[in-house]
Amino acid sequence: MGRIAFCFPGQLQEGPALEDSHSLRRNPHFEEWLKRASRQTDFDLLNFSFKGEEAGYNLKLQISTYLLSMIHFFRLRAEGWVPDIITEHSMGIYAALAASRAISFEEGLFITESIGRILEREGTSSGGAMASILGLPFGDVEKIRQDLDGFGLSIANYNGSMHFVLSGNEEGIEKAIALALSRKAISATRLTFNIALHSPALSALSGEIEALLKRVEIRSPRYPILNHWTVRPLKREEIKGFLSQEIGQPVYWDRCVERLIQEGVSRFVEIGHGVTLSKLIRWIDRDVETISTGDRL
Amino acid sequence: MAEVNSELIEKLKQLIITRLKLADMTPNMIEADAPLFGDGLGLDSIDALELVLGLEKEFGVIIPDAEVGKKVFQSVRTMAQYVLDQKGMV
Repeated sequence: MGRIAFCFPGQLQEGPALEDSHSLRRNPHFEEWLKRASRQTDFDLLNFSFKGEEAGYNLKLQISTYLLSMIHFFRLRAEGWVPDIITEHSMGIYAALAASRAISFEEGLFITESIGRILEREGTSSGGAMASILGLPFGDVEKIRQDLDGFGLSIANYNGSMHFVLSGNEEGIEKAIALALSRKAISATRLTFNIALHSPALSALSGEIEALLKRVEIRSPRYPILNHWTVRPLKREEIKGFLSQEIGQPVYWDRCVERLIQEGVSRFVEIGHGVTLSKLIRWIDRDVETISTGDRL
Repeated sequence: MAEVNSELIEKLKQLIITRLKLADMTPNMIEADAPLFGDGLGLDSIDALELVLGLEKEFGVIIPDAEVGKKVFQSVRTMAQYVLDQKGMV
Protein backbone atom coordinates (compact mmCIF):
# COMPACT_ATOMS: atom_id res chain seq x y z
CA MET A 1 0.00 0.00 0.00
CA GLY A 2 1.28 3.44 -0.94
CA ARG A 3 1.84 6.31 1.40
CA ILE A 4 -0.80 8.87 2.40
CA ALA A 5 -0.36 12.62 2.04
CA PHE A 6 -2.66 15.07 3.80
CA CYS A 7 -3.08 18.20 1.64
CA PHE A 8 -4.07 21.51 3.20
CA PRO A 9 -5.67 23.92 0.71
CA GLY A 10 -5.23 27.67 0.43
CA GLN A 11 -7.93 30.26 0.92
CA LEU A 12 -11.51 29.37 -0.02
CA GLN A 13 -12.88 31.59 -2.77
CA GLU A 14 -16.35 31.92 -1.28
CA GLY A 15 -17.93 31.73 2.16
CA PRO A 16 -18.56 28.12 3.21
CA ALA A 17 -22.13 26.82 3.06
CA LEU A 18 -22.74 25.36 6.51
CA GLU A 19 -26.50 25.01 6.60
CA ASP A 20 -28.09 23.33 9.65
CA SER A 21 -28.38 20.02 7.82
CA HIS A 22 -24.70 19.93 6.84
CA SER A 23 -23.13 16.68 8.07
CA LEU A 24 -20.15 18.53 9.57
CA ARG A 25 -22.50 20.39 11.95
CA ARG A 26 -23.48 17.06 13.51
CA ASN A 27 -19.87 16.08 14.20
CA PRO A 28 -18.89 16.62 17.86
CA HIS A 29 -15.54 18.06 16.77
CA PHE A 30 -17.31 20.91 15.01
CA GLU A 31 -18.76 22.46 18.15
CA GLU A 32 -15.74 21.63 20.30
CA TRP A 33 -13.21 23.38 18.10
CA LEU A 34 -15.42 26.35 17.29
CA LYS A 35 -15.89 26.88 21.00
CA ARG A 36 -12.14 26.73 21.49
CA ALA A 37 -11.60 29.19 18.61
CA SER A 38 -14.16 31.60 20.07
CA ARG A 39 -11.99 32.09 23.16
CA GLN A 40 -9.41 33.72 20.94
CA THR A 41 -11.12 35.32 17.95
CA ASP A 42 -14.33 37.28 17.50
CA PHE A 43 -14.89 35.57 14.19
CA ASP A 44 -18.09 33.53 14.05
CA LEU A 45 -17.78 30.81 11.41
CA LEU A 46 -21.48 29.95 11.34
CA ASN A 47 -22.46 33.54 10.57
CA PHE A 48 -19.32 34.20 8.52
CA SER A 49 -18.80 37.48 10.38
CA PHE A 50 -16.88 39.12 13.21
CA LYS A 51 -18.78 40.16 16.30
CA GLY A 52 -18.89 43.95 16.33
CA GLU A 53 -16.52 44.44 13.42
CA GLU A 54 -16.87 44.93 9.68
CA ALA A 55 -13.95 42.89 8.39
CA GLY A 56 -12.82 42.25 4.85
CA TYR A 57 -14.12 39.30 2.86
CA ASN A 58 -10.67 37.76 2.38
CA LEU A 59 -9.81 37.87 6.09
CA LYS A 60 -13.06 36.05 6.85
CA LEU A 61 -12.30 33.49 4.15
CA GLN A 62 -8.79 32.94 5.51
CA ILE A 63 -9.99 32.23 9.04
CA SER A 64 -12.84 30.05 7.73
CA THR A 65 -10.37 28.04 5.66
CA TYR A 66 -8.11 27.49 8.66
CA LEU A 67 -10.92 26.50 11.01
CA LEU A 68 -12.55 24.13 8.55
CA SER A 69 -9.27 22.45 7.67
CA MET A 70 -8.53 21.92 11.35
CA ILE A 71 -12.00 20.62 12.19
CA HIS A 72 -11.80 18.16 9.29
CA PHE A 73 -8.31 17.17 10.41
CA PHE A 74 -9.38 16.49 14.02
CA ARG A 75 -12.39 14.56 12.73
CA LEU A 76 -10.21 12.35 10.54
CA ARG A 77 -7.60 11.88 13.24
CA ALA A 78 -10.30 10.68 15.62
CA GLU A 79 -11.31 8.14 12.99
CA GLY A 80 -7.76 6.78 12.87
CA TRP A 81 -6.41 8.52 9.78
CA VAL A 82 -2.69 9.27 9.96
CA PRO A 83 -0.62 10.97 7.24
CA ASP A 84 2.82 9.82 6.19
CA ILE A 85 3.53 13.31 4.97
CA ILE A 86 1.78 16.67 4.78
CA THR A 87 1.67 19.12 1.92
CA GLU A 88 -0.01 22.50 1.61
CA HIS A 89 -1.00 25.15 -0.88
CA SER A 90 -0.44 28.84 -0.13
CA MET A 91 -2.02 29.80 3.19
CA GLY A 92 -2.77 26.14 3.90
CA ILE A 93 0.60 26.19 5.64
CA TYR A 94 -0.96 27.47 8.89
CA ALA A 95 -3.29 24.48 9.25
CA ALA A 96 -0.53 22.15 8.02
CA LEU A 97 1.75 23.35 10.82
CA ALA A 98 -0.99 23.00 13.45
CA ALA A 99 -1.93 19.52 12.20
CA SER A 100 1.71 18.43 12.45
CA ARG A 101 1.87 19.95 15.97
CA ALA A 102 4.70 22.30 15.04
CA ILE A 103 2.35 24.93 16.47
CA SER A 104 -0.83 24.67 18.52
CA PHE A 105 -4.36 25.15 17.14
CA GLU A 106 -4.47 28.54 18.87
CA GLU A 107 -1.09 29.61 17.50
CA GLY A 108 -2.23 28.65 14.00
CA LEU A 109 -5.37 30.72 14.46
CA PHE A 110 -3.31 33.64 15.77
CA ILE A 111 -0.94 33.49 12.75
CA THR A 112 -3.83 33.14 10.29
CA GLU A 113 -5.71 36.12 11.71
CA SER A 114 -2.62 38.31 12.20
CA ILE A 115 -1.26 37.76 8.69
CA GLY A 116 -4.81 38.09 7.34
CA ARG A 117 -5.10 41.52 8.95
CA ILE A 118 -1.74 42.61 7.52
CA LEU A 119 -2.90 41.51 4.07
CA GLU A 120 -6.24 43.25 4.53
CA ARG A 121 -4.46 46.51 5.39
CA GLU A 122 -2.14 46.04 2.41
CA GLY A 123 -5.14 45.41 0.11
CA THR A 124 -6.76 48.64 1.28
CA SER A 125 -3.62 50.76 0.98
CA SER A 126 -1.85 49.31 -2.08
CA GLY A 127 -4.37 47.07 -3.78
CA GLY A 128 -3.66 44.27 -6.17
CA ALA A 129 -5.40 41.39 -7.88
CA MET A 130 -5.02 37.79 -8.96
CA ALA A 131 -6.34 35.73 -11.86
CA SER A 132 -6.55 32.03 -12.56
CA ILE A 133 -5.58 31.07 -16.12
CA LEU A 134 -6.54 27.61 -17.37
CA GLY A 135 -5.81 25.91 -20.65
CA LEU A 136 -2.57 27.65 -21.62
CA PRO A 137 0.90 26.12 -21.15
CA PHE A 138 3.61 27.85 -19.13
CA GLY A 139 5.27 29.45 -22.20
CA ASP A 140 2.02 31.19 -23.20
CA VAL A 141 1.34 32.47 -19.68
CA GLU A 142 4.92 33.69 -19.37
CA LYS A 143 4.54 35.46 -22.75
CA ILE A 144 1.41 37.25 -21.47
CA ARG A 145 3.37 38.33 -18.41
CA GLN A 146 6.22 39.64 -20.59
CA ASP A 147 3.86 41.34 -23.06
CA LEU A 148 2.36 43.27 -20.15
CA ASP A 149 5.72 44.41 -18.86
CA GLY A 150 5.24 47.42 -16.61
CA PHE A 151 2.12 46.09 -14.87
CA GLY A 152 4.13 44.19 -12.27
CA LEU A 153 2.67 40.80 -13.15
CA SER A 154 4.19 37.61 -11.81
CA ILE A 155 3.25 33.95 -11.81
CA ALA A 156 1.96 33.29 -8.31
CA ASN A 157 0.94 29.62 -8.56
CA TYR A 158 2.29 26.80 -10.67
CA ASN A 159 -0.66 24.46 -10.23
CA GLY A 160 -0.15 22.14 -13.20
CA SER A 161 0.89 22.08 -16.85
CA MET A 162 -2.18 24.14 -17.87
CA HIS A 163 -3.06 25.81 -14.57
CA PHE A 164 -1.44 29.04 -13.47
CA VAL A 165 -2.32 32.01 -11.28
CA LEU A 166 -1.08 35.50 -12.01
CA SER A 167 -0.64 38.29 -9.47
CA GLY A 168 -0.23 42.00 -10.13
CA ASN A 169 -1.98 45.33 -10.07
CA GLU A 170 -5.65 45.43 -10.96
CA GLU A 171 -5.24 46.97 -14.40
CA GLY A 172 -2.51 44.48 -15.32
CA ILE A 173 -4.61 41.52 -14.19
CA GLU A 174 -7.62 42.70 -16.22
CA LYS A 175 -5.41 43.06 -19.28
CA ALA A 176 -3.88 39.63 -18.66
CA ILE A 177 -7.36 38.05 -18.51
CA ALA A 178 -8.34 39.66 -21.81
CA LEU A 179 -5.08 38.59 -23.43
CA ALA A 180 -5.35 35.03 -22.11
CA LEU A 181 -8.88 34.67 -23.48
CA SER A 182 -7.85 36.10 -26.86
CA ARG A 183 -5.02 33.56 -26.92
CA LYS A 184 -7.43 30.65 -26.42
CA ALA A 185 -7.37 30.04 -22.67
CA ILE A 186 -10.30 27.85 -21.64
CA SER A 187 -10.85 30.03 -18.61
CA ALA A 188 -9.32 33.24 -17.25
CA THR A 189 -11.01 34.69 -14.19
CA ARG A 190 -10.35 36.99 -11.25
CA LEU A 191 -9.85 35.43 -7.83
CA THR A 192 -11.30 37.13 -4.76
CA PHE A 193 -7.97 38.51 -3.54
CA ASN A 194 -7.49 42.29 -3.43
CA ILE A 195 -3.71 41.90 -3.13
CA ALA A 196 -0.98 40.44 -5.32
CA LEU A 197 -0.38 37.42 -3.10
CA HIS A 198 2.72 35.29 -3.79
CA SER A 199 4.37 38.06 -5.75
CA PRO A 200 7.52 40.12 -4.98
CA ALA A 201 5.22 43.09 -4.25
CA LEU A 202 4.47 41.51 -0.87
CA SER A 203 8.07 40.70 0.08
CA ALA A 204 8.26 44.01 1.94
CA LEU A 205 5.84 42.58 4.53
CA SER A 206 8.17 39.79 5.62
CA GLY A 207 9.75 41.87 8.43
CA GLU A 208 6.35 42.56 9.96
CA ILE A 209 5.44 38.87 9.80
CA GLU A 210 8.78 37.92 11.34
CA ALA A 211 8.03 40.27 14.24
CA LEU A 212 4.63 38.73 14.98
CA LEU A 213 6.10 35.22 14.78
CA LYS A 214 8.32 36.07 17.76
CA ARG A 215 5.25 35.35 19.89
CA VAL A 216 5.13 31.76 18.61
CA GLU A 217 7.41 28.87 19.49
CA ILE A 218 7.85 26.40 16.66
CA ARG A 219 8.34 22.72 17.51
CA SER A 220 9.57 19.95 15.22
CA PRO A 221 6.69 18.78 13.00
CA ARG A 222 5.38 15.36 14.04
CA TYR A 223 4.62 14.60 10.37
CA PRO A 224 7.00 15.94 7.69
CA ILE A 225 5.68 18.97 5.78
CA LEU A 226 6.94 19.27 2.23
CA ASN A 227 8.50 22.63 1.36
CA HIS A 228 7.32 23.34 -2.19
CA TRP A 229 10.37 25.50 -2.98
CA THR A 230 12.96 22.83 -2.15
CA VAL A 231 10.61 19.79 -2.34
CA ARG A 232 12.19 18.57 0.89
CA PRO A 233 10.62 18.44 4.35
CA LEU A 234 10.66 21.75 6.21
CA LYS A 235 13.09 21.73 9.13
CA ARG A 236 11.94 23.27 12.41
CA GLU A 237 14.46 26.10 12.13
CA GLU A 238 13.31 26.92 8.57
CA ILE A 239 9.63 27.34 9.40
CA LYS A 240 9.56 30.98 10.57
CA GLY A 241 11.58 32.04 7.53
CA PHE A 242 9.21 30.11 5.27
CA LEU A 243 6.17 31.78 6.85
CA SER A 244 7.60 35.29 6.56
CA GLN A 245 8.67 34.84 2.93
CA GLU A 246 5.97 32.67 1.39
CA ILE A 247 3.48 35.47 0.71
CA GLY A 248 6.14 37.05 -1.54
CA GLN A 249 7.09 33.81 -3.32
CA PRO A 250 5.24 31.61 -5.84
CA VAL A 251 3.54 28.34 -4.91
CA TYR A 252 5.00 25.35 -6.76
CA TRP A 253 2.14 22.94 -6.27
CA ASP A 254 2.90 20.85 -9.39
CA ARG A 255 6.44 19.96 -8.35
CA CYS A 256 5.24 19.24 -4.82
CA VAL A 257 2.73 16.64 -6.04
CA GLU A 258 5.24 15.15 -8.48
CA ARG A 259 7.81 14.73 -5.69
CA LEU A 260 5.26 13.09 -3.41
CA ILE A 261 4.33 10.59 -6.11
CA GLN A 262 8.03 9.83 -6.64
CA GLU A 263 8.26 9.27 -2.89
CA GLY A 264 5.56 6.61 -3.06
CA VAL A 265 2.44 8.60 -2.16
CA SER A 266 -0.57 7.03 -3.87
CA ARG A 267 -3.39 8.52 -1.80
CA PHE A 268 -3.90 12.25 -1.39
CA VAL A 269 -6.43 13.40 1.19
CA GLU A 270 -7.55 17.02 0.86
CA ILE A 271 -8.20 18.36 4.35
CA GLY A 272 -10.64 21.22 3.97
CA HIS A 273 -14.03 22.31 2.79
CA GLY A 274 -13.41 22.32 -0.97
CA VAL A 275 -12.17 19.99 -3.67
CA THR A 276 -9.76 22.23 -5.62
CA LEU A 277 -6.52 20.48 -4.66
CA SER A 278 -8.02 17.10 -5.52
CA LYS A 279 -8.87 18.40 -8.98
CA LEU A 280 -5.40 19.86 -9.46
CA ILE A 281 -3.84 16.53 -8.43
CA ARG A 282 -6.15 14.70 -10.86
CA TRP A 283 -4.71 16.82 -13.66
CA ILE A 284 -1.10 16.14 -12.60
CA ASP A 285 -1.55 12.35 -12.28
CA ARG A 286 -4.80 10.54 -13.00
CA ASP A 287 -3.59 7.28 -11.46
CA VAL A 288 -3.27 8.39 -7.85
CA GLU A 289 -6.26 8.35 -5.53
CA THR A 290 -7.66 11.66 -4.31
CA ILE A 291 -10.16 11.98 -1.51
CA SER A 292 -11.58 15.21 -0.20
CA THR A 293 -13.01 15.77 3.26
CA GLY A 294 -15.26 18.39 1.72
CA ASP A 295 -16.75 15.85 -0.63
CA ARG A 296 -16.54 12.14 0.07
CA LEU A 297 -15.17 11.83 3.58
CA MET B 1 -28.41 19.33 -38.63
CA ALA B 2 -27.97 15.76 -37.34
CA GLU B 3 -30.05 14.83 -34.32
CA VAL B 4 -28.57 13.85 -30.99
CA ASN B 5 -29.31 10.23 -30.07
CA SER B 6 -29.38 8.48 -26.72
CA GLU B 7 -26.26 6.44 -27.47
CA LEU B 8 -24.16 9.58 -27.84
CA ILE B 9 -25.73 11.08 -24.72
CA GLU B 10 -24.76 7.95 -22.75
CA LYS B 11 -21.21 8.02 -24.13
CA LEU B 12 -20.82 11.64 -23.03
CA LYS B 13 -22.21 10.95 -19.57
CA GLN B 14 -19.67 8.17 -19.25
CA LEU B 15 -16.93 10.49 -20.49
CA ILE B 16 -17.85 13.02 -17.77
CA ILE B 17 -17.80 10.32 -15.06
CA THR B 18 -14.52 8.80 -16.22
CA ARG B 19 -12.70 12.03 -17.00
CA LEU B 20 -13.73 13.72 -13.76
CA LYS B 21 -13.26 10.51 -11.72
CA LEU B 22 -16.79 10.77 -10.29
CA ALA B 23 -16.57 7.33 -8.70
CA ASP B 24 -19.88 7.64 -6.84
CA MET B 25 -21.92 8.55 -9.92
CA THR B 26 -23.64 6.53 -12.63
CA PRO B 27 -24.80 7.86 -16.01
CA ASN B 28 -28.47 7.77 -14.99
CA MET B 29 -27.69 10.26 -12.21
CA ILE B 30 -26.82 12.90 -14.83
CA GLU B 31 -29.70 14.55 -16.65
CA ALA B 32 -29.04 15.33 -20.29
CA ASP B 33 -30.48 18.85 -20.02
CA ALA B 34 -29.30 19.79 -16.54
CA PRO B 35 -26.65 22.52 -16.24
CA LEU B 36 -23.16 21.08 -15.84
CA PHE B 37 -21.82 24.09 -13.97
CA GLY B 38 -23.08 26.04 -10.97
CA ASP B 39 -26.29 24.66 -9.52
CA GLY B 40 -26.42 21.63 -11.78
CA LEU B 41 -23.66 19.04 -11.59
CA GLY B 42 -21.52 21.68 -9.84
CA LEU B 43 -18.54 21.51 -12.17
CA ASP B 44 -15.93 24.28 -12.35
CA SER B 45 -13.30 25.56 -14.76
CA ILE B 46 -10.78 22.87 -13.74
CA ASP B 47 -13.38 20.26 -14.70
CA ALA B 48 -14.00 22.12 -17.97
CA LEU B 49 -10.36 21.74 -18.90
CA GLU B 50 -10.59 17.99 -18.23
CA LEU B 51 -13.65 17.77 -20.47
CA VAL B 52 -11.89 19.72 -23.23
CA LEU B 53 -9.12 17.12 -23.15
CA GLY B 54 -11.62 14.27 -22.93
CA LEU B 55 -13.59 15.42 -25.99
CA GLU B 56 -10.37 15.77 -27.92
CA LYS B 57 -9.10 12.30 -26.94
CA GLU B 58 -12.36 10.38 -27.22
CA PHE B 59 -14.09 12.17 -30.09
CA GLY B 60 -11.32 14.10 -31.84
CA VAL B 61 -13.31 17.30 -31.27
CA ILE B 62 -11.56 20.55 -30.36
CA ILE B 63 -12.93 23.28 -28.09
CA PRO B 64 -10.94 26.22 -29.45
CA ASP B 65 -11.57 28.83 -26.75
CA ALA B 66 -13.53 29.85 -23.66
CA GLU B 67 -16.42 31.31 -25.65
CA VAL B 68 -17.12 28.04 -27.47
CA GLY B 69 -16.51 26.13 -24.22
CA LYS B 70 -19.22 28.12 -22.44
CA LYS B 71 -21.79 27.21 -25.10
CA VAL B 72 -20.74 23.56 -25.37
CA PHE B 73 -20.58 22.82 -21.65
CA GLN B 74 -24.07 24.04 -20.82
CA SER B 75 -25.37 20.47 -20.60
CA VAL B 76 -24.72 16.94 -21.84
CA ARG B 77 -27.10 17.62 -24.72
CA THR B 78 -25.24 20.73 -25.87
CA MET B 79 -22.00 18.73 -25.71
CA ALA B 80 -23.60 16.02 -27.85
CA GLN B 81 -24.85 18.58 -30.38
CA TYR B 82 -21.38 20.07 -30.66
CA VAL B 83 -19.80 16.65 -31.21
CA LEU B 84 -22.35 15.95 -33.94
CA ASP B 85 -21.84 19.33 -35.57
CA GLN B 86 -18.09 18.85 -35.62
CA LYS B 87 -17.94 15.20 -36.56
CA GLY B 88 -21.27 14.45 -38.18
CA MET B 89 -21.43 11.35 -35.98
CA VAL B 90 -24.67 9.66 -35.03
